[in-house]
Amino acid sequence: MSGSSGYKGAAAMFAAALSFYPACSALAADGAPRKAQACVTCHGPGGNSTDPAMPSLAGQPAQSISLQLFMFREGNRKDPQMSPMASGLSNADMNELAAYFSRQKPAAPSHRTAPENTAAGRRLAEQHHCVQCHGPALLGLQHIPRLAGQQFVYLRTQLRGFRARTRADFDGNMTAAAELLSEKDIEILADYLSGLTPPRD
Amino acid sequence: MLPVSFRPLVSLSSALVCVLIAHAAQAQAPAPPPSWQQGRSAEQEKSTLHPFAIEVTGKSAKLLPVDKLKVPAGFKVDVWAEGAPGARSMAQGDKGTVFVGTRQLKDVYAVVDRGDKREVKTILKGLDSPNGIVFSKGTLYVAERHRITRYDGIEGSLDNPPQAKVVVDGLDPQKQPGHFWKYLALGPDGKLYYNVGAPGNIVMPAYFQATISRVDPKTGVVEEYVQGVRNSVGFDWHPKTKELWFTNHARDWLGDDSPNDTLHRVAKKGTHFGYPFCHQGDTLDPEFGKNRSCAEFTPPTLKLGAHIAPIGMRFYTGKMFPAEYQNNIFIAFRGSWNRTIKQGYNVTRVSFDEKGKPKMEPFLTGFLQDEKADPPMWGRPADVMVMRDGSLLVSDDHNGIIYRVSYAKK
Repeated sequence: MSGSSGYKGAAAMFAAALSFYPACSALAADGAPRKAQACVTCHGPGGNSTDPAMPSLAGQPAQSISLQLFMFREGNRKDPQMSPMASGLSNADMNELAAYFSRQKPAAPSHRTAPENTAAGRRLAEQHHCVQCHGPALLGLQHIPRLAGQQFVYLRTQLRGFRARTRADFDGNMTAAAELLSEKDIEILADYLSGLTPPRD
Repeated sequence: MLPVSFRPLVSLSSALVCVLIAHAAQAQAPAPPPSWQQGRSAEQEKSTLHPFAIEVTGKSAKLLPVDKLKVPAGFKVDVWAEGAPGARSMAQGDKGTVFVGTRQLKDVYAVVDRGDKREVKTILKGLDSPNGIVFSKGTLYVAERHRITRYDGIEGSLDNPPQAKVVVDGLDPQKQPGHFWKYLALGPDGKLYYNVGAPGNIVMPAYFQATISRVDPKTGVVEEYVQGVRNSVGFDWHPKTKELWFTNHARDWLGDDSPNDTLHRVAKKGTHFGYPFCHQGDTLDPEFGKNRSCAEFTPPTLKLGAHIAPIGMRFYTGKMFPAEYQNNIFIAFRGSWNRTIKQGYNVTRVSFDEKGKPKMEPFLTGFLQDEKADPPMWGRPADVMVMRDGSLLVSDDHNGIIYRVSYAKK
């Protein structure tokens, strides 16, 4: 999320959150924590984003969500929208939000991978160790996020950030992995990953 | 990832020169693997084994199967404190406060009893891997990645902690990769002992790396104490002999059962324990062990098991446990991950027969749920500490929980 999407301002965020009121009862029935209302304004209903620059949270491993929220709050990751959102969250809030979004079903991706990038993307994912940590189907586990079906622009921004060492890295693995990616590699990888369909159960 | 300077006493062997040439030739190869993957063979490149990350926001004991924890008959285990994410090393203050360091967070906690409520307070923030903690005569010492500091009189002002005073700085001049966090313990000689780990899985250490070193807190003068120690994050002195004992993590990617992590006794300053040439006292490293002999190095006192990652260790000197536990060692096993079938994830007791022969047995178990699952465990013992009342605290940095093991006479 680092810097790719425009800064909407905290006030606008909260206004948007309030305008989302009609959906609140539905969310509540789903066991959504109250604080999730602010998240879905940008990350989409149930955490399924429709904005290519905004990551989907639905069905992400819970620990991967709480880790990112933690990094925003502690200042390792900085983003004009996320930093203020995370600053007021307690550890318990983060765990609750992470548990909720991890339970949501990921939507089928709207992104279509360019045919020539399917095999090339897979090759890059193996060559640059993506599959080692994110899993053979790139579904993520524990603190490692699912990449399959994640939003295209978001993925591209993160990879560029890791390569430029401007995107905080919890354990140094992503910085090492992204170091030798070319701009074209990043484009192909993001295109490939974004078009993969995550399982819905 | 190459060490910038080599230990001066070690000549560059032909094997090492080959490694250097190989690295240079690979300059344009795909991105270097992360530090924990370093040392894998070509066949292991598709391995799915990986280290496990802690829950940085902590996890509530309510959500965990703490009822699965098991201790020997007559003992009891309880959740003593929670809400201390990343809890590692522990030290007890004069007034009973338990200070807790963290490795992957930047915080030091104080656990205090206020009335019948136990509170975890974050007393120091923004530190660089404050893993090592010592309390002595009113002063809290903290070992960060690059320095050791002191906080005088802190227990009387937990709400307004004093400024850090530097004991020694510049301990990590090259921002080394690999094992950069430090354990800290106060020796019977009044010096502070700390580890400087190896800068990777299996690499030639640079000056002062792969050692246990010590600093005189009065002068700030440091000296190397023992060498050839890949990474020790737990040590203590024998209550009677006053010798230093320490746990050590062996290298990864040599298979499920080799080499063992180890327990060592230091009879003499300057001892070399083998890394990176010889592991577990009898196994030459396939790369660095060429043209060397294990006979050159001091073997461990006990092999603890492969990849079990022994962290904190303390001699039991309390009065609560049965007499046969006196001067036994408790060790927290925080692994394994680099093994297809997982083992460890317990607190192990090491006792000695009349000839001094060590024997180990699991003492606190139940963290390991499914040895074939990913993850295989729900909690990870990181440090042990004998409380003044003789009970044993066990920190779990995965969940940010501290357990207490106590004994009640039947």
